[in-house]
Amino acid sequence: MLVDGPPRGGISRRSLLKIAGLGAAAGALPLSLSGCAGAGGSSGTTSLRWLANKPEVLAAFDELAAQYNASQSAVTIAHDGTQASIVPQFVRGAPPDVACYNYNLETSNYVRGGVLEDLAPLPEAKTINPAYQDLVTQYADFEGQTSVLPWSVTAAGVIYNVELFADNGVEVPTTYAELTAACQKFQAAGVTPIYTTAAATWSLLQGIWDYATGSGADVPAFFEEKLAADAGQGPTFLETFSKPWSDAIALRTYFNPDFPSRQYADGNLAMGQGKVAMYLQGPWALGEIAKTDPDLELGTFSLPMTEDPDDRAVRVNLDLALWVPTASRSVGDAKAFVQWLMQPDICNGYNQQNLAFSPIQGATGTTDPRTAGLAPYLEAGAIYQGAGTFVPNTIPLANYIQGALVDGDAEGMLRTLDADWDRLAKRSALS
Amino acid sequence: MSADAPVRTGTTPPAAPPPTRRSKSRVDTAFYVMLLPALALFTVLIVGPALAGMFFSVTNYVGYGEYSFIGLNNFLVLFTDPRILTSYGFTIGFSIVTVLLVNALGLLLAVGLNAKIRFKTALRGVFFVPMVVSGIVIAYVFNYIFSNSLPAVFTSLGIDAWGTSILANPSWAWVGVVIVTAWQAIPSALIIYLAGLLAIPEEVYEASSLDGASPWRQFTAITLPLVAGYVVINTVLGFKNFLNAYDIIVGLTDGGPGTSTYSVAMTIFTGFQTGDYAYQMANAVVFFVITVLISLAQLRLINGRGVSL
Repeated sequence: MLVDGPPRGGISRRSLLKIAGLGAAAGALPLSLSGCAGAGGSSGTTSLRWLANKPEVLAAFDELAAQYNASQSAVTIAHDGTQASIVPQFVRGAPPDVACYNYNLETSNYVRGGVLEDLAPLPEAKTINPAYQDLVTQYADFEGQTSVLPWSVTAAGVIYNVELFADNGVEVPTTYAELTAACQKFQAAGVTPIYTTAAATWSLLQGIWDYATGSGADVPAFFEEKLAADAGQGPTFLETFSKPWSDAIALRTYFNPDFPSRQYADGNLAMGQGKVAMYLQGPWALGEIAKTDPDLELGTFSLPMTEDPDDRAVRVNLDLALWVPTASRSVGDAKAFVQWLMQPDICNGYNQQNLAFSPIQGATGTTDPRTAGLAPYLEAGAIYQGAGTFVPNTIPLANYIQGALVDGDAEGMLRTLDADWDRLAKRSALS
Repeated sequence: MSADAPVRTGTTPPAAPPPTRRSKSRVDTAFYVMLLPALALFTVLIVGPALAGMFFSVTNYVGYGEYSFIGLNNFLVLFTDPRILTSYGFTIGFSIVTVLLVNALGLLLAVGLNAKIRFKTALRGVFFVPMVVSGIVIAYVFNYIFSNSLPAVFTSLGIDAWGTSILANPSWAWVGVVIVTAWQAIPSALIIYLAGLLAIPEEVYEASSLDGASPWRQFTAITLPLVAGYVVINTVLGFKNFLNAYDIIVGLTDGGPGTSTYSVAMTIFTGFQTGDYAYQMANAVVFFVITVLISLAQLRLINGRGVSL
């Protein structure tokens, strides 16, 4: 899709864009020259644009850029924290020189399109836990290259109120039966067992849908087959996820009764007020809950969906990953910066401070007690990227999940999903 | 409402063009010059992009990169996509109900505000307010009212059946969307009706009351026929706006629960966010044709009424 190359005869749209781009560049030239004039003659310092725009940690990125700039004099890293879309940047032929960016189905297009440098030759690439490196290729692959290096892994599970569990004599459930028993116990005690915020559809997508399918079925294997199959072929959502998804929807009797109209903020508030036993949210919610009660004792466990405790796995995502576009203004300098960022003390340090897990082999992850419950799964490699993250955005999966939770029809929803997927595959919008 | 203002040579200012030009055309070129900026902007910002969109509807363009022509494939799939068909069903049904509600309440309020009542000017101002507030702001405020305030009120009154948000009910969420859309749209209909009512000469009413006509008879025999043209104007303008429903739905339900309140405009817009550009452009072309057909039908109605937009 993003293959860059010479126009194949005639004036294509691409070459028109290029001409327009040249004109724009020519127009910008005097400006950039005057911009450089203040830099003290021909110092020869290259400036690299480092795209790293995770909103919560912009200050940490500024700090890292300053550290690197102080540590050497060959290049200047200019930290770009703007929230702009990166697709147009690639189309214009002016992508960031190096990026530390969320890796998802959309960013995987740059891998598939082969517009990123192969980072495999860097010695740091070999220090990464292969289980995390595999997450990259689950979305896309380009000729077996290592186009992206994981830098920060976040893990999500069921956040629970430790005190409420202890007060009601409930242990962390390891099977689906234990989970429903725990819910009944809480309900009998007048505690909301599970708080759900269905008005914020994204919270269902990353929460109950991803957790239930991830612990109740083999999500990576399903999508590997599904993506390789032709339209109408391969495993179906219905046969693969019917059991766990029906069981997940059966849990709605343990939700707060007004769950269809509750928003994300309502969930964080209820959890912070200590009125709720369990909350299916990622680590980003911990800071929000702490705004209501900073001393609330919380933990996280993996949602069990079967009767075998070993089926439990944890939803992870490559919250931040490093890549260097082939169109980077200085590929060598960009790679040197990637190597610097991949140093254990820098990478591990960032992850420990931000409730995340370092992808470097043997690294100790976050020691925060609120997320420590997930660490064993990451160490054992019992991880998956959420089923929702594999479904192209053009299918309104989050809305389907909301509808299914409200009307209780699990199988109808999965059938719709199968039909949408096939229709999309037929249109060959899928690779 | 008189936007079509044909060139009226009679109103040409005294500063007439030089005699050399007058012989060629009786129309002053100044009028064309006046039209030029608007025409240029309209072409560049509306016609151009629309044509580009139509072009891409027969390709597999994802918004960037290479593309190839795939003929009418997008259109063929479109008509078998239940999600697309549902969005059309919802949007058209929602528009009809809203148009009826807006016109009924707009006319009612206009009659009330046209009567000899106290604080007439102040009240007119108050009813005008919803029109100047942004749709998304209204939607978020009403979202809070529907989701939190009203359930709390009904629960405290002991009506537990109404204790949940209407927006969370797949069968009734559309009613919430209709209420909020109507709330915002009524003022503009109201203004047009007020103008229409003011245009009816007072003598007609005086004469009919001398003949002993009751207020209701006056309304049905005088007011209604004389504002009929304005009903058509409000229907055409309102229907076109409601078909394009977007911001209020996003703020209220975001298409939910499920996809029960997903409007066509929302579906089209997802094409930009999800790389489904060409497919949704095809959807936009179909939607454009439908809107044009509906508008043409309504314009025929207008011509029959002897009024112009």
